[in-house]
Amino acid sequence: MFFHIVLERNMQLHPRHFGRDMKDKLVSKLMKDVEGTCSGRHGFIVAITGVESIGKGLIRDGTGFVTFPVKYQCVVFRPFKGEILEAVVTMVNKMGFFAEAGPVQIFVSNHLIPDDMEFQTGDMPNYTTSDGSVRIQKESEVRLKIIGTRVDATEIFCIGTIKDDFLGVISDPGSTS
Amino acid sequence: MARRRDDYAEEEDDVDYEDYDGVDGEDGEADDDYDGSGKTKRKRSRSELIDDYAEEDDDDEEEDEDDEDYGGAAGGGKRRRKAASQFFDDEALVDDDDDELEDDEDREEDFIVDDIRDEDDRRIHRRPLLPREDEREEDVEEIERRIQERYSKSLHVEYDEEATDVEQQALLPSIRDSKLWMVKCAIGREREIAVSLMQKCIDKGSELRIRSAIAIDHLKNYIYIEADKEAHVKQAIKGMRSIYPGRIMLVPIKEMTDVLSAESKSLDISRDTWVVDVDNVRQRVTVKVIPRIDLQALANKLEGREVPKKKGFKPPARFMSINEARDLSIRVETKRDPSSGDSFYKIEGMMFKDGFLYKNFSLKSLRTQNVKPTFDELEKFRQSGETGDGDMSCLSTLVANRKKGHFMKGDRVVVVKGDLQNLRGWVEKVEEDSVHIKPNEKGLPKTLAISDKDLCKYFRTGNHVKVVSGASEGATGMVVSVEGHMVNIVSDTTKELSRVFADNIVESSEITSGVTRIGDYELHDLVLLEDNSFGLIIRVLSDAFQVLKGVPECPEVALVMLRDIKQKIFMKIFATDQYKNTVSVKDVVKILEGPFRGKQGPVEHIYKGVLFIHDRHHLEHTGFICVTSKSCMVVGGSRSNGDRDGNTLISRFAHLRTPSCATQYPMRPPRGGPGPINNFGGRNGGGGRGLVGAAVKIRVGHYKGSKGRVVEVKGSTVRVELESQMKVVTVERSYISDNVNVSTPFRETSRYGMGSETPMPPRTPLHPCMTPLRDSMVSSPV
Repeated sequence: MFFHIVLERNMQLHPRHFGRDMKDKLVSKLMKDVEGTCSGRHGFIVAITGVESIGKGLIRDGTGFVTFPVKYQCVVFRPFKGEILEAVVTMVNKMGFFAEAGPVQIFVSNHLIPDDMEFQTGDMPNYTTSDGSVRIQKESEVRLKIIGTRVDATEIFCIGTIKDDFLGVISDPGSTS
Repeated sequence: MARRRDDYAEEEDDVDYEDYDGVDGEDGEADDDYDGSGKTKRKRSRSELIDDYAEEDDDDEEEDEDDEDYGGAAGGGKRRRKAASQFFDDEALVDDDDDELEDDEDREEDFIVDDIRDEDDRRIHRRPLLPREDEREEDVEEIERRIQERYSKSLHVEYDEEATDVEQQALLPSIRDSKLWMVKCAIGREREIAVSLMQKCIDKGSELRIRSAIAIDHLKNYIYIEADKEAHVKQAIKGMRSIYPGRIMLVPIKEMTDVLSAESKSLDISRDTWVVDVDNVRQRVTVKVIPRIDLQALANKLEGREVPKKKGFKPPARFMSINEARDLSIRVETKRDPSSGDSFYKIEGMMFKDGFLYKNFSLKSLRTQNVKPTFDELEKFRQSGETGDGDMSCLSTLVANRKKGHFMKGDRVVVVKGDLQNLRGWVEKVEEDSVHIKPNEKGLPKTLAISDKDLCKYFRTGNHVKVVSGASEGATGMVVSVEGHMVNIVSDTTKELSRVFADNIVESSEITSGVTRIGDYELHDLVLLEDNSFGLIIRVLSDAFQVLKGVPECPEVALVMLRDIKQKIFMKIFATDQYKNTVSVKDVVKILEGPFRGKQGPVEHIYKGVLFIHDRHHLEHTGFICVTSKSCMVVGGSRSNGDRDGNTLISRFAHLRTPSCATQYPMRPPRGGPGPINNFGGRNGGGGRGLVGAAVKIRVGHYKGSKGRVVEVKGSTVRVELESQMKVVTVERSYISDNVNVSTPFRETSRYGMGSETPMPPRTPLHPCMTPLRDSMVSSPV
């Protein structure tokens, strides 16, 4: 799920950047530091949409660095248990398949793939129904439900299932090409 | 003689018996054989002890019934009983003969032997009746009649347990009975001493006044001697070796029964996945095992060839292949088991079926407690199980054998047996055998006490769990699916599926891969191996590491023992990519050539121009790829360099859109040092001189951690102007972190370098267009 929230962060700025464009520097450093990171509480910070306020800087003794408290608005993405997501399959193996929804990697185990879908090895490993009408392979888009999440410092890993109503392949690159 | 109590009722009816009992004078037991169908049998025994024990019969009858049930379950059909010819009975018997019998003494005997007897009733086979001298003279018809009588009677026995209990109570030893003395002896000689006491008894006859001697297998260092007085014991053991007469202890009356009460727990074996047949009567169990048979050796043996035995060689356990045996010209017979109707292959007296060896074991030689089969082992038996119920039964064994105390407060559990089956709840309190659970359902009492055998831990898909015992102990992962007692989890680190028992996992939010370090080496360390090759530890096993060797382009994983590792490689070295850009640790690089083309990820280690990249989409080798730096390209800004120098801020607005105007922001020349132009000239001079003006960090020594710029290089030392302290210090060149390259690849003359502007005040650059190295690089390869 995406959220648009306001977060705060203390930014340290090298004295070298003091001057006219200090604010720009600060913002660009903030973007560089923050975008793409992940926290357990908020999930992935996808993009900074604006800076609300920059507080008064505090010069650090010794180093000359200045610390600014910065409040910024950003879009965050956090997957939840039970959430239904659309994701792109990145890898298929006999244990199941991995899919990605933006920065989040989701693993769908073969236990959580409908029983009528069988793993087929080969050049393009895939899961196919017995009649061959539905196939999950690399680049397929699937709709899945998240049943478990694990949040690391740098990534969120989820376990998903497609063993439920209305879940499964939503577009098959194999059929279109 | 223990039997004697049992059948008095019959004895009463059976006058003949009284007769020969008297003649016999000996206290033995014998059994009638029963009819061929194995339906019922009556034990028959004689005794000179009489009538007053009549009620005991009931008890015995019941036991008989029990026996039959057992037998039926075992499916044996054919059963025989053999005599319980116990040494101690015989010995006591000698005593009896010698001493003038007193009533209470007899009782005492009775009591002790009876303990054994109770067990025997269930397990020990009786010797088929050997006709005694006096019996032979009896009419065959007479015997038949007697059997008939007995048999028919046994069907009309009333079971009156209470009376039996009271009787049992009456048998407990009292102060009037003879006492049991515990005598210390040499360890390991217990049986020997008991036997020699028996021998002594036989030799000396009535001189010996002890009543019995008992050596108990599980009690080392002591034997028990039954006697009325301590003096009798002393007299009996006088002159014997390996017994210490100084240590004679009286066993308190209360504890006397415990001395000989047998552990009956171990006999709770029923037919199961690998237990094919249980014969409780003969105390034999037929067990299905995966044989370890060296067919070649067997063939050699059969052909009479002498082959020196390889010492310490243990053939691997595998399923027996009959065809293979035939190929080796081993004679294979096909045999049909008369009772079950299954056909077996018979080789050298060994029975095989479906590759399994069916072997008979004595119950005593089996260990049933705390046996923890691994999942693989279970699977092997399950696959080959001819019936579909394999799963259930093997799990029931597991549940029965699992060790206690694995439930903890807060565990989610589900009741798997009994009336409350499928009830879910949380563990509230754990007691010895029962677990108090707080049920999930409404309308139930707050807590319920349930036997821990009826409970099973309960997990939901998506739970994050930790494996606390078993093969993959310590690993964590997420539950993917639950199948009864089995839980499939996806390991956090390896992203592989593993099957574990629900009992072996607990819910946990912790993330580990199990063991992550042995000695000084940890998972994901770069290590130098004995043969001077190097590699990255990608997995830590219980006593070895899996190392991804530092051979670019051909991933090679070696199993390395701790001793094969020379040292850890800490060095933070830099490498250059295809476009001669520096690559440092944590930089994100993309692989442009080779089998891993297209992969990208942060650099974890650099050594000798070889990069170890972690690509989380790469599933082999836990996501690590080993490539030469030359086939990679740095992507995006160099994080570590930027952090270190603080001079690589991206101004996205200014530069990402106009990469063409990307310019380099050169390092500010040291204050008072040579001008920028000179500096560039110096760069061309040689390796050492290129260092001048570079931003460095001091790694070691007094100024550790300080940042600064190199003013001068003098041989192996450099003079560094510290940023923070406004002074110039001299340090060893090796002491500075070697990120010289950061400043070297100036490709364009900077504005400062042009000299067209007045030098800026130190450290306050006005130009927003400071582009990090990487950005310019991205555009430059074109």
